[in-house]
Amino acid sequence: MLAYLLNLATLICINAILAVTLNFILGYAGIFSLAHAIFFGIGAYVAAYMGLTWGSSLLAVLPVAMAVAGALSLVLALPALRVRGEYFVAASLGLQMLGLTVFAEWKSVTGGNSGLSAIPPARLFQQELDGPYEALGLAAGCLLAIVAVTSVLLKTSFGRNLRAVRDSESAACACGKNVAAIKTLSVVVSSALAAVAGVLYAFYLSFINVESFTLDTSVQLMAMIIIGGVGTVLGPIVGAVLLMVLPSLFSYLPFLPQTEVGSIQQIVYGLAMVLLMIYRPGGIAGVARQGVK
Amino acid sequence: MTTRSILRAIACAATALACLSAQAQDIRIGANFPLSGPQGSYGDVFMTGSNLAVDHINADKMLPGKLSIVYEDSQGTPQRGVIGMNKLVNVDKVPYVLSSFTGVLKATAPIAARSKTPILNGSGVAPELAEQGPFFWNVLPLISFDVKAMLPYLIKERKAKRFVLIYVDETVGQAVLKEMESTLPAAGGELVAALSIPASLQQFSGIAAKVREARPDAIYIASWGAQQVQIVKQLRDNGVTQQLASFSTFVLPELEALPESKGALYTTQHVNWDSPDPVTRRFVESFRAKYPGKQPTIYAANFYNSVRLFALLSVELQKKGKPITGENLLAQRLETKAFDMVGGRIVFQDNGTVAAPMQVNEYDGKSTRVIAVLPVQ
Repeated sequence: MLAYLLNLATLICINAILAVTLNFILGYAGIFSLAHAIFFGIGAYVAAYMGLTWGSSLLAVLPVAMAVAGALSLVLALPALRVRGEYFVAASLGLQMLGLTVFAEWKSVTGGNSGLSAIPPARLFQQELDGPYEALGLAAGCLLAIVAVTSVLLKTSFGRNLRAVRDSESAACACGKNVAAIKTLSVVVSSALAAVAGVLYAFYLSFINVESFTLDTSVQLMAMIIIGGVGTVLGPIVGAVLLMVLPSLFSYLPFLPQTEVGSIQQIVYGLAMVLLMIYRPGGIAGVARQGVK
Repeated sequence: MTTRSILRAIACAATALACLSAQAQDIRIGANFPLSGPQGSYGDVFMTGSNLAVDHINADKMLPGKLSIVYEDSQGTPQRGVIGMNKLVNVDKVPYVLSSFTGVLKATAPIAARSKTPILNGSGVAPELAEQGPFFWNVLPLISFDVKAMLPYLIKERKAKRFVLIYVDETVGQAVLKEMESTLPAAGGELVAALSIPASLQQFSGIAAKVREARPDAIYIASWGAQQVQIVKQLRDNGVTQQLASFSTFVLPELEALPESKGALYTTQHVNWDSPDPVTRRFVESFRAKYPGKQPTIYAANFYNSVRLFALLSVELQKKGKPITGENLLAQRLETKAFDMVGGRIVFQDNGTVAAPMQVNEYDGKSTRVIAVLPVQ
């Protein structure tokens, strides 16, 4: 039982990192991106490639993965962020398709549809982090660090600029803010931090393929932050916990036929999203925040 | 809620717990199938076979207690597959897990190795599934068996000498290419062209032109799903009249109903649904009775065989007085090697793959017929 809980907790931490980093652009800059899974994938493929080729030292892999994801997001975001609102959603959908095709077709690096196997566990100061406790500790540590980094960033003038852009691009522009630069920088930060989740995922699972980085993953991350609470610190974490734990909880309900758990889970997600949007648009953490006057 | 009703609920719970402990002899195995999401329908197909096997094993009282399957929903994705596998192994403590989908299989293979719990693959044919360790078993022949069966048949029976391969450039396609390159010269054939295609390609007029230029006697197609339908249709529309051949992914209702596929050949593991063999006959009759209106499929047979294999190994372990653990099941499988299953006798090789008789099937534009049965390679 303990091994199962440790595994679930580790994956929750990895998904929470992704949700927190997506929340950074969606919740604070109002940038609806459907391509977040691609930057998760870039981190994972960089880690897998480096791990299989040179070694799995986190001190080497993490900066490289973050730099690659950040640089690629910069290249992709510069033209895409010149469009607003729903147009960027469409542009990010294009990025998602493009990225997934590259993952599937660049076989010499990504292994194509078959993926990459036997990825070694992460190493830190010559110590292999291959046990369940070490993996959870690493994932939880990274989650805390990323929450801290994003929280600090949001308290700076950069954070205030993000909110200004979210609330009214035209007003921010009229105040002399370089809206395109602010949005682009926020996407770069978010993508680079999402790559951290990819690195952890590749080293933890020791196998990756394109199936983990599809549009479904991007949509699920969006669901996490909408259910948890957009634009809150705790929201994405609450959402990640809920969406990862719910399916497992359903499988313990004796009155549910086991073979229908998956379908019931999908219905519950859908219902939760609809009801939250109607009655609590701020999400669960948003509700908690509203409750404290 | 009153105190009395709370006490009544506690009493009911206590009774249920007592019943559970009385069933300590019961045996559970796991299944990590896609039960929801885009691949959910596959899980339904797999379960028809696995549940039928459980019915038969319990009816025959093969095991000391009642056998049941704990199902987990992998959704066909590696992440959910890992969560499901971890639950089956660490919480439900099952000694044996049925699984499917290459991504899920490869992501969960390390867990199987760590926990010494055999994983049974009943659907994937990718060649790398033969290299996932001793606790990873395949109850169906992998892709190389299809190619090894089809090529000699085409050379001897259809007098084909010159071959063209159209293949999706990933592991299965690459395995077919490698197999053709190594098998054809010795068998008296020649690979005159190997044309790789992306998995998403839907326009094949250019490919058809290259095929015509190569003047082959037969064209081998290594693709899957809707793309196969387009390849067959467009090759014929573009004047390619030579023999078409493929492997088990060619089992598609759309191809069966396609007039252009008339005469196309493909291999599958051999299962004669009308066989007098008692295991096969019982499976087919029970399947049709339990699932009216449905026809048995190769996937249902594979997962029936997977559960049946567990029961056969467990019976042997009981005779020796050994507990049913993953390690003991592996040791017994290595010792027994051959098993009577749906479709005939299958022989396990040391690397966890099976050698089974293959059959060549032909589409006649409306349905499929078996035209040759080939012995175990």
